[in-house]
Amino acid sequence: MSLIHLEGLSKVYRVGDQEIKALSDINLRIEEGEFLSIIGSSGSGKSTLMHLLGCLDTPTTGRMEICGKDLAKATGDELARVRNREIGFVFQSFNLLPKLDVISNIALPLIYAGVPHAQRLARAKQAAVDVGLGDRLANRPPQLSGGQCQRVAIARALVNNPRILFADEPTGNLDSATGRIILEIFDSLHAAGKTVVLVTHDPSIAARSRRIIEIQDGSITREYAP
Amino acid sequence: MNLFIAISIGLREISAHKFRTALSMLGIVLGVSSLVATMALTGGIEEGSRKFMQQMGGLESVSVVSREPSSSDFDFANLSPGRTLLDAEAIRRSANFISHVSPEISFSTAVATDGGGNPERYSIRGIYPDHFVIGMHELAAGRYLTPLDIERGTRCAVVGDSVARYLWPNTTPEKAIGNTILIDSSPFTVVGILSLYQMESHARARKSGKSFSRRWDPFRQKNETVLIPFTTMFYEFRSGAFPLDSLETIKLETLTIRVGDLDFFRPALDEVRSILNTTHRGVDDFDLETRQDWFDRIEASVRATRLSGALISAISLLVGGIGIMNIMLASISERVREIGIRLAVGARQRDIFWQILIESILVSFLGSLLGIFASLGLIEILKAISPTENVPVLSADAILLAVGFALFAGLFSGLYPAAKASNIDPITALRYE
Repeated sequence: MSLIHLEGLSKVYRVGDQEIKALSDINLRIEEGEFLSIIGSSGSGKSTLMHLLGCLDTPTTGRMEICGKDLAKATGDELARVRNREIGFVFQSFNLLPKLDVISNIALPLIYAGVPHAQRLARAKQAAVDVGLGDRLANRPPQLSGGQCQRVAIARALVNNPRILFADEPTGNLDSATGRIILEIFDSLHAAGKTVVLVTHDPSIAARSRRIIEIQDGSITREYAP
Repeated sequence: MNLFIAISIGLREISAHKFRTALSMLGIVLGVSSLVATMALTGGIEEGSRKFMQQMGGLESVSVVSREPSSSDFDFANLSPGRTLLDAEAIRRSANFISHVSPEISFSTAVATDGGGNPERYSIRGIYPDHFVIGMHELAAGRYLTPLDIERGTRCAVVGDSVARYLWPNTTPEKAIGNTILIDSSPFTVVGILSLYQMESHARARKSGKSFSRRWDPFRQKNETVLIPFTTMFYEFRSGAFPLDSLETIKLETLTIRVGDLDFFRPALDEVRSILNTTHRGVDDFDLETRQDWFDRIEASVRATRLSGALISAISLLVGGIGIMNIMLASISERVREIGIRLAVGARQRDIFWQILIESILVSFLGSLLGIFASLGLIEILKAISPTENVPVLSADAILLAVGFALFAGLFSGLYPAAKASNIDPITALRYE
């Protein structure tokens, strides 16, 4: 069974009395262990698709199964649980809490998973070491470089051991050298068997994945391997 | 997410904005401190008046006081002789439930020692021996006035502690017994000296040598008294002959009676009322004033004070609550992105709701702690500026009540911001700059 299964998915936004079709009739299967890119220009609907896949939003119509659960009509609490346990997010702008130190930032998802304090610290520390930040645990995000921030974000996304990792333009705020290092982390995660979904507008970044989905005007227009 | 984490997040948020939080706490601090201080002061008044009442004769004492007759009796009002010695005699003879009757006439005049010295004005009171029981007097030295003193009309006097201290400042009460005093230049022999009556706080002040002269002393009247036999008073300072056959002509300044058994308090009052109805020829120009009535009056004024204090506190707490709501709203609009991040990593709406609510309750809780400290200072200030004799009683009840109300204000004012925060859409929040 597929990890993610979308069938006839559509999303319509209502602005005043105008309807805006952000996505229409999306059919997509993602298997466990895939490294997939979603590519499209800005306004193509790729972010909307990403939000749906990331359980930050629900579709207007269609079927959406993630990890075997039908989430098309899920409640807020059910979505929160999936976000917490099954999904890790990496954002373009890192989205770290500036007031918290590195280890507390990484441990954030564990708080909402109800993991006890000592275990939380141990797991967060391990995740920090895994991304090469074992010596920056007490620093706060404003004291770190962009690449280090993104590594903290990756550690946070992985700390609860999710099945899927979503990355939304993960190198968008980084210089190309640092970006390469971050992309190498995704490569190695894929090699270790993690499902990785990369959202980008840059074909050269998408080329690192094994399968590329191209989106235009809310529909999948092309699907190919690089 | 458990409570402990929510509290630690809240504390971090508060310590990150100390000044802002302190300002928003101000209303709560004022509300709590005024509530605690009012409760402490009124508690002190109540406690003090209860003690004072016991000292002044307890619940058994009842005063017969005169009053304006009601309008229906107005035409007959002059048929009644008013409060006279006949009332006292009639009660003494006929009222079974009354154990003691103390009629009193008094006037103020100069008192001096026979050796000269400056005379001082004191209140001279002609009394019967029952006065010592009803007034709960104690002797420092000598003896009380006896029925024989009344019968013979002796020139004996029992004086209060302050009088003895003024007239013979350098002798003990024992040595002052037998001395002669001049009351309006008539000589009297001092046969007894009363103990010093004082409130506990006075005793403390006296011991520590602090000045307390400015303060009101409820026992002053009792300490500055000069007591002589009722009959002697009449012979010496009134008409001369004691008109035994017409007691009605002797008007009284004070008439106090003591109920023998509190279990029969109401029947005793009814009995006295019916006797006085006879002696007053049916004119209701008298009232029986019990200590309970007196206490109820104090209680009523204490309640009024308490109510106005509570009202001020309630307004302060309301304002404080609004202040907290304001700060929480400001805080969440500053933290939209943080809330979005928390939602994205798996926080449920209710986690956000509780986090904001607990933060709001924390602010009010810290405010109420500050308020309790402030109330201690407020009580000291009130003690210094008001001539109250009553030590404020800081009760746990008052503190719990105040903290309870403050927490409620915090809870109530946190509801709306918490609901608003938990309804933030994660996608918009993550894009929010």
